[in-house]
Amino acid sequence: MITEQAWLLAAIPAGMFLLLAFAGRYLPRQGDFLGVAATGTSFVLFFIVLANFLGHREGLGPWVNDIKWSDVGAFHLRMGIYIDPLTIVMFGVVTTVALMVNIFSMGYMKGEPRYFWFFAVLQLFAASMLMLVMADNLLLLYVSWELVGLCSFLLVGFYWEKRSATEAAKKAFVTTRVGDVGLLIGIILLYKATGTFNIQGIIESAKAGEIGHTYLFVSMLLVFLGCMGKSAQVPFHVWLPDAMEGPTPVSALIHAATMVVAGVYLTARLLPVFEVADGTLLVVTIVGLVTALLTGFMALAQTDIKKVLAYSTVGQLGFMFVALGSGHRDAALFHLMTHAFFKALLFLGSGSVIHATHHNQEMGKLGGLWKKMPVTGTTFFVGCLALAGVAPLAGFWSKDEILHGSQKWEGGWVLVLLGFAAIVTAFYTTRLFIRTFMGKPQDEHVYEHTHESGLFMTLPLVFLAVLAAVSGLLIFNGVGEALQFPGGFTEFVFLEEPERYHIDWALAGGSVALAVIGIYSAAWFYWRGSLVRSTRLAEQNPGLYDMLKNKFYFDELYQQGIDRAVLGFSYVVSWFDRYVVNDTGVDGTAQVTGYSGSILKYLQTGRVPNYAMAIALGVLGLAIAGLVLRG
Amino acid sequence: MVPLENYLVLSAIVFCLGVYGVLSRRNAVLILMSVELMLNAVSLNFVAFAAYLDPNRVTGAIFAVFVITVAAAEVGLALAIVIRLFRHRSSANVDEAATLKW
Amino acid sequence: MATEVLWWIFAAAIVGTSLGVVASRSIIHAAIFLILSLAGVGALYVILMVEFLALVQFLIYGGAVTVLILLALMLTRMGASGLPEKLTGSQAPFAALASGGLLAVLIGVAVSTHWPGDVDNSPSDIPIETISDQLFKLYGAPFVIASAVLLVALIGAIILARQEEGE
Repeated sequence: MITEQAWLLAAIPAGMFLLLAFAGRYLPRQGDFLGVAATGTSFVLFFIVLANFLGHREGLGPWVNDIKWSDVGAFHLRMGIYIDPLTIVMFGVVTTVALMVNIFSMGYMKGEPRYFWFFAVLQLFAASMLMLVMADNLLLLYVSWELVGLCSFLLVGFYWEKRSATEAAKKAFVTTRVGDVGLLIGIILLYKATGTFNIQGIIESAKAGEIGHTYLFVSMLLVFLGCMGKSAQVPFHVWLPDAMEGPTPVSALIHAATMVVAGVYLTARLLPVFEVADGTLLVVTIVGLVTALLTGFMALAQTDIKKVLAYSTVGQLGFMFVALGSGHRDAALFHLMTHAFFKALLFLGSGSVIHATHHNQEMGKLGGLWKKMPVTGTTFFVGCLALAGVAPLAGFWSKDEILHGSQKWEGGWVLVLLGFAAIVTAFYTTRLFIRTFMGKPQDEHVYEHTHESGLFMTLPLVFLAVLAAVSGLLIFNGVGEALQFPGGFTEFVFLEEPERYHIDWALAGGSVALAVIGIYSAAWFYWRGSLVRSTRLAEQNPGLYDMLKNKFYFDELYQQGIDRAVLGFSYVVSWFDRYVVNDTGVDGTAQVTGYSGSILKYLQTGRVPNYAMAIALGVLGLAIAGLVLRG
Repeated sequence: MVPLENYLVLSAIVFCLGVYGVLSRRNAVLILMSVELMLNAVSLNFVAFAAYLDPNRVTGAIFAVFVITVAAAEVGLALAIVIRLFRHRSSANVDEAATLKW
Repeated sequence: MATEVLWWIFAAAIVGTSLGVVASRSIIHAAIFLILSLAGVGALYVILMVEFLALVQFLIYGGAVTVLILLALMLTRMGASGLPEKLTGSQAPFAALASGGLLAVLIGVAVSTHWPGDVDNSPSDIPIETISDQLFKLYGAPFVIASAVLLVALIGAIILARQEEGE
C-alpha cells in the first residue's frame, strides 16, 4: 500500500510530462497550472506516505515491492521500490523544492518561448528523481540517473538560441557522462561478484564478506566516480557553474537541491558497502574536503551572483561527502535537507533579483536593492544566515553535525580544514549579500527599474525561508517526537543504530565563532569601504587573484587535454581512412584488378592449339593428383 | 595368350600419340585425324576389357560400337566446318585462325 | 603361339602407322597411315575374337571416315603437294612433354593395377548373339538415340558445307 502510493508519487509527474509535452501548447496558459498540480499532488502524497510509514509501529522497517522484469535463461531481474527513512527524507526534499520551483516558474518564466516545454521537463525531472530515490536495484537507479542527466541537459540548454547555453548543456552532459561510465562499470562489477543488481542484496553480500577486497575497493571507487560526476566534485566540478546558463528555477531545482544530491544519495544508500571496502571512505572524505576548500576559494572571486551560489553548492556537497566519509549518514542527509531548502531559497531569490533587474546578474551592476525589494531581500538574508551557519537557523545545526562527525579522523586535520572551509563559506556568502542588497547601487539605470517581484515568486521564497529557519530544529528529539517521529533526525535516518542527539556545546560555540569570523571579515572588506579594500587586495596579489578568478584554470587544462586527445586521435583515424581504407583498400583493389587483368589477358591467344594444350595439361594434372591421392 | 596389360599399354601409346598430334599439328584435318586415332585407341581399350574381364555382358564391346558411331558422325560434321573455314580463309591453318584474342 | 606373334606384329604396325599420322610431312601420307592404323586395330579385334567389331571397324572407319577425309582433302585442294607451310606447329615440344607425361601415368596405372575378373589371362570368345542381345535389349534406347545423332549430324554437315550463292 505504501509502495503503491510511492509509485504514484513518480508516476503522476511522469504522466503530466507526457501530457504537457504533446498537448501543452494548446492548453490554456500552456498548462503551467497542471505542472503545479502534478507536483502538488506528489507533495500531498508524500505526507500520506509519511503518515503511513510512521503509523506502522513495527519499526522503521523498509517497505519493498517488486515485479518480475526479465527472465532470460539464467538471468532473472526483478525491479521495484524500496522505501526506508532515507527514501522518505529524499521524497520530502524533492517534492517540496519541486513544488516551490513550479510555483515560482509561473512568475519567472512568464512570456518566455516554449513555456509549456519548460514545465513538461520539470515534471519529467521530478518523476525521474523520485524514481531514483525509490529504486531498489542498481539498474533502475542507473536508468533514472541518466534520465535526470537528460533533464538537466534539456533545461540547461533551454535558451538554445544562445551559444553559451548549448555549450554549457553539452559540457554538463559530457562531464557527468565520464563519471557515469565509472558508475556503470562499478555496477557491472558488483553484479558479477554478487549475482544481483538488488541494492539490499549487494549490501548483504558485501557485509558477509563474499566479495574480494581489492575487487570491492575498485568497484566502489568506480561507483563513487559516478557520484563525483553527478555531484560535481573536484575534478568534475567544471560543469556546474556553466550550468547556470539555464533559467534560474532550473538552477534552484536541479543544480542545488535535487539532481546534484543524487551522488550524495547513492553514496549514502551504499554506505554499508563503502564501509566494508577499507580506504574508500578516506577517498570520499578527501574528495569532499578538497572540493569544499577549492570551490570556496573560487567563489571568493566570482562576480556573477548565480556563479557564487553554484560554487557554494559544490562546496556544500563536499561537506556532505565529508560527513559520509566519516560514516555519518544521518549528518550528511540532514545537511542535504537543510541545504536543499536554503540553497533553493537563495537561488530563487537571485532569480527574483534577476527578473526584477531585467537579467542583470553581475554584482558590478547591483547594490542597495534591499530597499526596493524588501521581501526578496529579507528572505535572501535568512538564506545567507543559514548558509553561513548562524544559529538557530537550519544551516547551523547540520553543519555542526558534520563537524562533529569529522572529529572521528585521527589528528583532527579534517575538522580543522572543514572549519576553515566554513569560514570561507561565511565570507563569500556575506560578500554576496552585501554587494547585492546593501551599500550604494552600482548602476543607476538598473536601480531605477527594479521593483519587488509578484506573488508567484515571493510566496515560495517566504515558504522556503520559513523552512530554512526552522527545519534545523528537527534534530531535537523532542521536536521529532512531537511530530510522531520516533525521535529526532538522527533517530530516523541512521546507518546501524539510532543515535540520541546531544549538543556538544564546545563544538557548537566553535562553529558559531567560525561563522561570525567569516561574516565579520567580509563585512569589514565590503561594507565600510565599499569595494576599495577588496580591489586593493586584489591588486596587491595579482597572481592569487587571477588564480581564483579563473577558477584555478581547471577549464583551460581540460580543454587542452581534450584538444590534444581528440585531435591526435583524429589524425590517426584520418590517416587510416586516407591511406589504408582509401588508397590501399579502394584504389588498391581497383588497381590490382586492372593490373592482373592486363597480365591475364595474354592467356586469350585465340589459338585453339593453345587451349587444347591447356586442357591436356589439366587432364594430366588431375591424373597425377588422382594417382597421388590414391597412394 | 597375350595378357590384358599388353592391350592397355598399346592403347595408351596410341592414345598419347593422338594427343601429341592434336596438340602439335597445324592443319585442321590433321588434328581431326589425330582425334580419330584417340577414339580408336579408346575403343580398343574397351573391347580388351570386355573380352578379358566381362565376357557375359560385353559392355565394352557395345561401348566400342557407339564410339565408332559417334566418331563417324563427328568426322562428318567437323569436315564440313573445316571446309567452310578453308573456303573463307583459303587456308586450314589453325594457328592463323586466331582473331578471337586480346 | 601363333596368335602371340601375330599380335606383336600388328601392335608394332599400329604404333608405327600412328607415328606416321602424327609425324608425316604430307597430309595425304598421313591419311594413308591413318587407314593402315585403323586396319591394324581391326586385325586385333579379330585376334580378340570379336569378329563383328572387326567388321564394323573396317567398314565404317576404313570405308566411310577415311574416304570422307580424303574426299575433303582432294576437293579443297589441301592435299596438293607443294604447300609451303609446315604441318607441325610450334607447340610440338610441350605437346611431346604433355603426352609423354600422360603416357607415363597411363602405363603406370595399367601395369600396376590388379584387374579383377581376369581369370586366366586369355580373352573369351564373344559371340555375336551376346552383342546383339545386349545392344537391342539393354542398350536399346542409346542405340536409337545414336541413330538420331547420326541423322542430325549428317543434316548439319550438309547445311554447313553447301555452297552459298555467289561463293
